[in-house]
Amino acid sequence: MASTIEIKVPDIGGHDNVPVIEVLVKVGDTVAKEQSLITLESDKATMEIPSSAAGVIKELKVKVGDEVSEGALIAVLEAAEGSTSPSPQRGEGRGEGSASPQSPAGNVPASTRPSPQPSPQGGEGAKAPQAAGASGRTPDIECKLVVLGSGPGGYTAAFRAADLDVDTVLVERYASLGGVCLNVGCIPSKALLHAAAVIDEAEAMAAHGVTFGAPKLDLDKLRDFKTKVVGKLTGGLASMAKQRKVRTVQGVGTFVSPNEMEVQTAEGTKLLRFEHAIIAAGSQAVRLPAFPWDDERIIDSTGALELKDVPKKLLVVGGGIIGLEMATVYSALGSEVTVVEFMDQLIPGADADLIKPLAQRLAKKLKGVHLKTKVVEAKAGKKGIEVSYEGESIPETTVFDRVLVAVGRSPNGNKIGADKAGVAVTDRGFINVDTQMRTNVPHIYAIGDLVGQPMLAHKATHEARVAAEVVAGMKSYFDARVIPSVAFTDPEIAWVGVTEREAKEKGLKIGVGKFPWAASGRAIGIDRTEGFTKLIFDEETHRIVGAGIVGPHAGDLISELCLAIEMGAEAADIGLTVHPHPTLGESVGMAAEVYEGTITDLYIPKKKK
Amino acid sequence: MADLKEARVPDIGSENVPVIEVLVKPGDKVAKEQGLVTLESDKATMEVPAPFAGTVKELKLKVGDEVSEGTLIAIIEADGEAAAPAPKQAAAPAKAEAPAKAAPAPAPAPAAAAPAPAAAPAGGGGVQEVKVPDIGSEDVPVIEILVKVGDTITKDQSLITLESDKATMEVPAPFAGVVKEIKVKIGDELSEGSVIALVEAAGGAAAPAPAPAPAPAAAKVAAPTVEEKPEPVGGRSVLPGNAPEGDVAPTARPPFDAGIVMPGDAPYASPAIRAFARELGVDVRQVKGTGRSGRIQREDITGYVKHALASGARPTGAPVAAGGGLNLLPWPKVDFSKFGEIEEKPLSRIQKISGANLARNWAMIPHVTQHEDADITELEAFRKKLGEENKDLKITPLVFQIKAVVAALKKFPQFNSSLDVSGEKLTLKKYFHIGIAVDTPDGLVVPVIRDCDKKGLLDLATELGEISKKARDKKLGPNDMSGGCFSISSLGGIGGTSFTPIVNAPEVAILGVSKAAMKPVWNGKEFAPRLILPLSLSYDHRVIDGALAARFATYLAQQLGDIRRLLL
Repeated sequence: MASTIEIKVPDIGGHDNVPVIEVLVKVGDTVAKEQSLITLESDKATMEIPSSAAGVIKELKVKVGDEVSEGALIAVLEAAEGSTSPSPQRGEGRGEGSASPQSPAGNVPASTRPSPQPSPQGGEGAKAPQAAGASGRTPDIECKLVVLGSGPGGYTAAFRAADLDVDTVLVERYASLGGVCLNVGCIPSKALLHAAAVIDEAEAMAAHGVTFGAPKLDLDKLRDFKTKVVGKLTGGLASMAKQRKVRTVQGVGTFVSPNEMEVQTAEGTKLLRFEHAIIAAGSQAVRLPAFPWDDERIIDSTGALELKDVPKKLLVVGGGIIGLEMATVYSALGSEVTVVEFMDQLIPGADADLIKPLAQRLAKKLKGVHLKTKVVEAKAGKKGIEVSYEGESIPETTVFDRVLVAVGRSPNGNKIGADKAGVAVTDRGFINVDTQMRTNVPHIYAIGDLVGQPMLAHKATHEARVAAEVVAGMKSYFDARVIPSVAFTDPEIAWVGVTEREAKEKGLKIGVGKFPWAASGRAIGIDRTEGFTKLIFDEETHRIVGAGIVGPHAGDLISELCLAIEMGAEAADIGLTVHPHPTLGESVGMAAEVYEGTITDLYIPKKKK
Repeated sequence: MADLKEARVPDIGSENVPVIEVLVKPGDKVAKEQGLVTLESDKATMEVPAPFAGTVKELKLKVGDEVSEGTLIAIIEADGEAAAPAPKQAAAPAKAEAPAKAAPAPAPAPAAAAPAPAAAPAGGGGVQEVKVPDIGSEDVPVIEILVKVGDTITKDQSLITLESDKATMEVPAPFAGVVKEIKVKIGDELSEGSVIALVEAAGGAAAPAPAPAPAPAAAKVAAPTVEEKPEPVGGRSVLPGNAPEGDVAPTARPPFDAGIVMPGDAPYASPAIRAFARELGVDVRQVKGTGRSGRIQREDITGYVKHALASGARPTGAPVAAGGGLNLLPWPKVDFSKFGEIEEKPLSRIQKISGANLARNWAMIPHVTQHEDADITELEAFRKKLGEENKDLKITPLVFQIKAVVAALKKFPQFNSSLDVSGEKLTLKKYFHIGIAVDTPDGLVVPVIRDCDKKGLLDLATELGEISKKARDKKLGPNDMSGGCFSISSLGGIGGTSFTPIVNAPEVAILGVSKAAMKPVWNGKEFAPRLILPLSLSYDHRVIDGALAARFATYLAQQLGDIRRLLL
């Protein structure tokens, strides 16, 4: 007697894939003929699909969100013998989803509205965590915008936002603003590198008839100089924050919900409620576990910049920018420096030809540079740190007075309670953002080291402006195409945009114009002819797409090429621009001339046709 | 010696230029060439300088006024001949920020013609300072000055308006008197104790206690009108329609590599041009460059936007409605949960779709609504009779309205047309399909009745009944809702005296019908009770001019007034 009937979607006007927006019945319901079972919603109208027979629902085959076309199975019905039966469980058929028992992910919690989920870059994905609910406590501080971290990204974001009339609070865990860059990074290292450069240059002049004698080091005074340099800048920041009425809160900030942050201050925990947040919490040096970090002779870049002493023998683990800059400083101050690098090239990332002049000079200045080699063990001994290696080039020295570990930096994305705010963090601690620096949570932004490589202050500051302006309602986007990199070694190395290596890997059609400084009057005059300027052009359009420079002041020279790339300059634009003579900057114009084949300061034999 | 002269607006190259800032106030001494007011034309802001030195006696302009060449700015008592002295205090700070700030401050304008100038300096009270009382916050900007020098003020009369983050408040006078000098100007930031003005207390006569202590307590600080300040978070009216999401939907940021540098992948545009495109919501990749080797230039971006606007498409095709590059403020964002319990409920799909259409139509069609009354006394009598004869049918007034509209469309074919995307070509239709706006529980739908000219009243009544039922039962198909020439939205069954329907693009007009009511109408001898039906005809002013619309509406009313005319 109980036959089952399949109820299907009838002709719905030739529409396919019409979404189900409501399911009006549930399993077990008795339905009458013509009673509506589900509601479909096409572009033009909503329509209810009636049951073609009376009976009891045995099985429902669709749920809200399914897309159905003519003939799709809606439900299986056990037919009733009689005709009509009362229709239970159905008011006027337009409940708010409560009537749809199977309503799945439809309702998103109000606190985390969906957003254009920034898809992962660099292949690393991150799952958005479920945000915590609001604490319900009365906040100690309320603001429109909180910026977590006061490095070059953080303070720029806070200042820009304040200048756009956004009520801003800046949370910084340390007493002085400026983050790693100003306090224990870019700035103090440059002060020390300046001392190193003067020492080296003075010494080099002996070959040309000017002898100064051996330098006398007053380490306290040098350290003071460095400290004052830092103090000037961080003090300046503090007063600018005040002038802008940016409130600063000192303490470690962690999110507790999408709109709240707890700050552990000296006066206790403070609850801060915000409408927008910019995460600018930066990165920190990677501490390889192979080293006995409880021994004070093992240092990272921060320790190296403290300049406690000039160790007799220093091992630098990591031949990247930071390691080599510190090697340059300590070598000039008198340390015997050994460098080991795991990769086959110093400063991986830059083209190999740029590294060569540096490698040659370091070979003379340092005790040794050892590629494809790693430290397998470091033991704290009485006489020093005893190190054993593995690899292709084993250093002679095995006992060091200090060991600097500079093998990279890791982002602080996992240390800020991001999950409580619903912000997705990758396994490595990065936070993915979109072109407006927005995280997966629309009112929370992230900038700087923790949104990805390259971890450079000048990238962070530009990202900061974008985030702050977006918070203030402006239509700003991060649209820069290239981020220049500079190693302040001696000679300096700077590069930007496409490298020859990348072009080769990707099969890009590029051409290179390279001008050796041996042909530059200025470079000869300062006795630094090892440098060169290299420009990389798109073969088809002759537009510049990359550049690399090695030699003194390379870092200052690269700026012109950053502009040229952003502007889409052609080789001739650069070559036909009059560069002042005699300068190192002239080499930029000449490199373009080399590419154009119009150079007169070199003789390049014509290619035979 | 004291020579009153008029300072007028010189040749400024354009007319009706709004005043965005007044830089001086009565009593100020101005030097020759000192800025008096700032004007902002389409092209630039400019200050109008004083043509001579002297003391401002009377200001004839206020912020928001529009001026042309020759407009009187102020009456200035010219200095003898001596070169301008210098106490130019008001001078011209805050020029740069003026455009931004000008917008709010609705300008006090305390009656241009002020009474009693220069009240006799006699009196008794002596000049006293009026200071800002305890206002609970510091550095609160003055947004309005409500009195001027020479005004006679009463105790508790508001002197200035301050605007803190949370509220605006008026600072009342602590005593009555005559304003001698005003020490603040709009934009100044004040804290407790700041001097607002020097007031000569009204002594002798009516003087109610000169109240020396200028401390009417915080409570006096007029009830702060707490208002939720809308977004953007920055108090700046930044550029275009910046919902924080901008127009070009933000995408995941690509890595820094050749993929965003090589000319094949990277649009040939400099950073400033890229930012400009972003501001206008243009995807720079869609823009064809006309510069050397296809470089995208500023003009290419503006050209692209113009073209996109002319063709009716949004510049980017991004889903967020922003009125095709209209210079709109961002939508106010309020955390309503801060103020009480709330519930969020998504709009139905029909609501979303019709909402987007309505927004486009409202923003892009220059609407005008023509109101007209139709005398339907006779029509109603006929309709009732017809209803009695056809009990099985529901003969509504709407049926007659459809018929009358068809007649009017035949008479005025301009109303049965559509403008093409370029806005340059009109398509006239020879058929008469009428859309009927139907309110359903899920939102507004507009089913269409076809060939209304060929159908009789009873046919139409039948069809109308069917289609309305279909609409309410959610059984309308796309065919039932396309092809309309003209729409009718009748709210007569509910009430109302008139309203402004929104044209249902690409149609060019829509008729709104309100509730008929019995009204006394003068018939030449006496007031007679007549049943009057209010009609509201909204039309696209690009296609239809006002006179034509008035004729259409009048004709329509005539048809309804005497339906015998429908036979003509």
